[in-house]
Amino acid sequence: MALIQVQSVSRNVVTTQGELQILQPMDFTIDAGEAVAVVGASGSGKSTLLSLMAGLDLPSSGHITIDNVNLSELDEEQRAILRGQKIGFIFQSFLLIQSLTALENVMLPAELAGSKHPEQQARELLKKVGLEERLTHYPNQLSGGEQQRVAIARAFIGRPQILFADEPTGNLDSKTGERIEALLFELNREFGTTLVMVTHDNSLAERCDRILHLDGGVLTEQRNVA
Amino acid sequence: MWHKISWRLLKHELRRGELTIMAAAVALAVCAVLSLSVFSERLQLGLLDRSAEFLAADRVLRSRGAEIPTEWLERAEQDDVAWARRTTFNSMAFANGELTLVEVKAVSSGYPLRGHLEIAQAPYVDGERTDMLPAPGEAWVQGSLFNTLALDIGESIEIGDAEFTVTQILAHQPDAGFSVFTDSPTVLIYIDELDRTGLIQPGSRVNYNYLFAGDPGNIQRFENWLMPQLDDVTQRWTSIQDGDSPLSSALNRAERFMLLASLLGVVLAATAVAVAAQRYAQRNFDAVAIMKTLGGRTGQIGRIFTLHLLLLTGVSILLGLLLGTALQWSVTGWVSAQLGYVLPEGGTGPYVLAIATGLLCAIMFSLYPLLRLLKIPPLRVLRRDMLASGLAKWVHWVIAGGTVYTLMVLYSGSFILSSALFAGGIFAMFLLLGISRLFIRASRQAGMQAGSSWRLAMAGLQRRAAENSMQMLSFSVAVMLFLLVLALRHELLEDWQNQLPDDAPNYFVVNVAPHQVEPMQSMFERQHIRATDLYPIVPGRLVAINGDLVRDAVTKEERDESEFREGFGRELQLTWRRDLPAENTLLRGEWFREGEPGVSVESQVAERINIGLGDELTFRVAADEFTVPVTNIREVDWNTMQPNFYMVFSPDLLEDMPATYIASFYLPPERRAELYSLFRDFPQASLIDVEDILTQIRDVIGHVSLAITFVMILVILAGALVLVAQVQASLEERQQELVILRTLGARSKLLSRAVTYEFVVLGALAGLIATLAMELSIYLLQTQVFNMQPALHLRFWILGPGLGALVVAVLGWAVCWRMLRQRTGHLIRNLA
Repeated sequence: MALIQVQSVSRNVVTTQGELQILQPMDFTIDAGEAVAVVGASGSGKSTLLSLMAGLDLPSSGHITIDNVNLSELDEEQRAILRGQKIGFIFQSFLLIQSLTALENVMLPAELAGSKHPEQQARELLKKVGLEERLTHYPNQLSGGEQQRVAIARAFIGRPQILFADEPTGNLDSKTGERIEALLFELNREFGTTLVMVTHDNSLAERCDRILHLDGGVLTEQRNVA
Repeated sequence: MWHKISWRLLKHELRRGELTIMAAAVALAVCAVLSLSVFSERLQLGLLDRSAEFLAADRVLRSRGAEIPTEWLERAEQDDVAWARRTTFNSMAFANGELTLVEVKAVSSGYPLRGHLEIAQAPYVDGERTDMLPAPGEAWVQGSLFNTLALDIGESIEIGDAEFTVTQILAHQPDAGFSVFTDSPTVLIYIDELDRTGLIQPGSRVNYNYLFAGDPGNIQRFENWLMPQLDDVTQRWTSIQDGDSPLSSALNRAERFMLLASLLGVVLAATAVAVAAQRYAQRNFDAVAIMKTLGGRTGQIGRIFTLHLLLLTGVSILLGLLLGTALQWSVTGWVSAQLGYVLPEGGTGPYVLAIATGLLCAIMFSLYPLLRLLKIPPLRVLRRDMLASGLAKWVHWVIAGGTVYTLMVLYSGSFILSSALFAGGIFAMFLLLGISRLFIRASRQAGMQAGSSWRLAMAGLQRRAAENSMQMLSFSVAVMLFLLVLALRHELLEDWQNQLPDDAPNYFVVNVAPHQVEPMQSMFERQHIRATDLYPIVPGRLVAINGDLVRDAVTKEERDESEFREGFGRELQLTWRRDLPAENTLLRGEWFREGEPGVSVESQVAERINIGLGDELTFRVAADEFTVPVTNIREVDWNTMQPNFYMVFSPDLLEDMPATYIASFYLPPERRAELYSLFRDFPQASLIDVEDILTQIRDVIGHVSLAITFVMILVILAGALVLVAQVQASLEERQQELVILRTLGARSKLLSRAVTYEFVVLGALAGLIATLAMELSIYLLQTQVFNMQPALHLRFWILGPGLGALVVAVLGWAVCWRMLRQRTGHLIRNLA
């Protein structure tokens, strides 16, 4: 069953040289539990597509539904609530809050959603990603790999239906990247999350169920991974 | 749950020093307001206390012709206010077959309530302090009576029906006063002796004065009760700050000086908060975007950051109060040591004002940054350059400007003072915008060529024109306020001190007979005594203005307040002159022309009794009445120790009237003993010693100078904070570019030089603009607030830009140097 539906979605931006279409109209669906990679060269519109699917931005035309809810019909507040309930994020630059400790960063989404015992959950998740010794460290006291593991733990604390990952290993060396990859897929399986990952790392893309290929804002290919 | 997040953020950020600048700014504002207002309040109280000696009381109720109801004195006792009576009138005194006009001063026990009497056994020698009063049958007299009546200690003096034995010479009386024209030598007797003289009859001109002293709060309570009961015609309630004596004028000016200096400190501290609040919001852009992405609602995030800010403000205010209290303790301790007496305690008002300032500053200056913060789109997590949209910048300017102005008015209670400073600030802003536009146009040619530090610097300036104009604005404000305080201390205060040079006249000689004018002038010349001209005096009354009788001219029976114009309520000392007296400035109209009778009126009096050029004034001198037109309005500097007059006539009108003459002169203190022999040939003339008043005015200036020094220290602190916050913010903006250039192989030296040059230019420009703005403000202050001659302050035109360039460049270089010491890899990671 389709968890995410993208229908005739395009995105234009206005620049000093006039209007620029950064995503051409496209249609596709993503099923619950599926792992989908969005690949393409820099500037092909991968991150824009991700921002639209996650409700961080709105399409210029067409619409996107998540769990049968049309994102365009929600206001900023309602989209925030939806993100809090159904979506987790992992970013290339980790985006941890610098003045909170690892534990507090992980607790944050659960606290914002008003869930009970966020600390307990956060401790368990940090243990799962192997950082039980680093609970009280601030982001700048952690290595890149460790910061990304905190970000992964944070992404899973709300038990999201969908996890959006934007170049999750882009800022890491290959060895650390591989470990993060393994951890990400392991947790994804364990929590039964739908994964949408933007990457230009082919090997990472190959671990997904399906690959969407973008080229100059056009969805050129959809390929299931054998 | 949200409050936990707020608290957690605050706790960690405080510990990690991320909120230091914001906390320091708010704490500094609170500390500045607290210590400045406590300090100036205490200094002011100290001054008033010491000046109150010149009134012999904190307040005096003067009643002409009638005693006040005894319930009023009972009420004073209830309010814990001490009182004493002082009844004065003029009478003839006889001794050794001579007679002369004296002022009889009959006082009750307790007199003087402030200050002390000094007595001696010979005229014109230093006296000894005493707490006694003349016993029944005794009189203490001023030394000049020894000339006129050829008196000696132990001899008798007759006043009315009573005879008194002169037992002491009055060497010093605190309330000797400064109405030089009316002062005849004083004869001090005990109040119960009055009846014996038989001089007090219905209708006699007697001044019943009631002296009051006590705690400021008690006095205030009594004053509030008393004021509605007073009839404004015959009863006058005065403090040392009222009236037009040089001392009251000096005290009022001192108050304005201290207020102004403190105001500058407060404005600068507020500027620091404004800059810090901006930074505070900027730092949290990412956190807000992340929270929104993770499902945080705007309302929820709004609550988190509002509480965060309030907690931060609370902590900072507390810190500021502690610091302020400690600071003012140590400063008043030091000042007390400097002044040689302990400053009186102030009230709790400054604490309320300080807390209000902290809250107002933090909340109002953070309002726009906070609103902007909450408008940060979640998409910023992917597009790092995204900022809030849809909030007009002018909202910020209106809020910030309004807050600063409100704060100034609240603090100073003076619209003129606040507006003068505010206008200077607005002018600086517009000037800044204009200059930075010009600068951008001029530097358009400069390219971004790494290799030359100067070119790099110019290119940097051009590219960041918008941000730079903001930074330049805060640099300018900091430098301007600093220069203003400096100018206040050096220029304005010096101007004031110059009005009272060491050889300012310290004696007045009055009652000089016409035939003695020339002998006295030649005596002054012979003895090398610097004296003013001898001015003729004719006592007279203003009876009508444009034919309308003034209140003063009608008898008690006819008195109905509403029907008559406001007059003087007393006899005036009239003089005549061919030319404008020195130290007077002609404001309106022309000086007298030969053969055209006229009168010149002092400007404040003209304003008070509402007379203008061309008005016809009728005067009564002895039995004659005559009417003259007002030919000009004159400004008199009451701070100078010159004979000053409300009314100066053209010579032809009064020349034939019987007159006495007055002059002031300077006699060095070491020549004091010569007074007796110098004036032996002028037995009718009386001498008035104003050395005490001079000393007190110099004391006032000394207090002000100390206050301004203190403000200067605070202004330097606040200014440094603004600069550090701004330089740090601007270097963070430059960080990305620095990292790129660094990665591309640019050497640290080149980069730090480029940054330094950029800051040199920024600082110098800011200093230049600040100097211009300061000149404008000083001009407004000199002309509108302090009534001084405006002047250009050339040395500030070098100091301003130089100081700006130096300080900003050094700070910029230091922050940049710290940044460049880090490894490039680390810097890149910080940027991610």
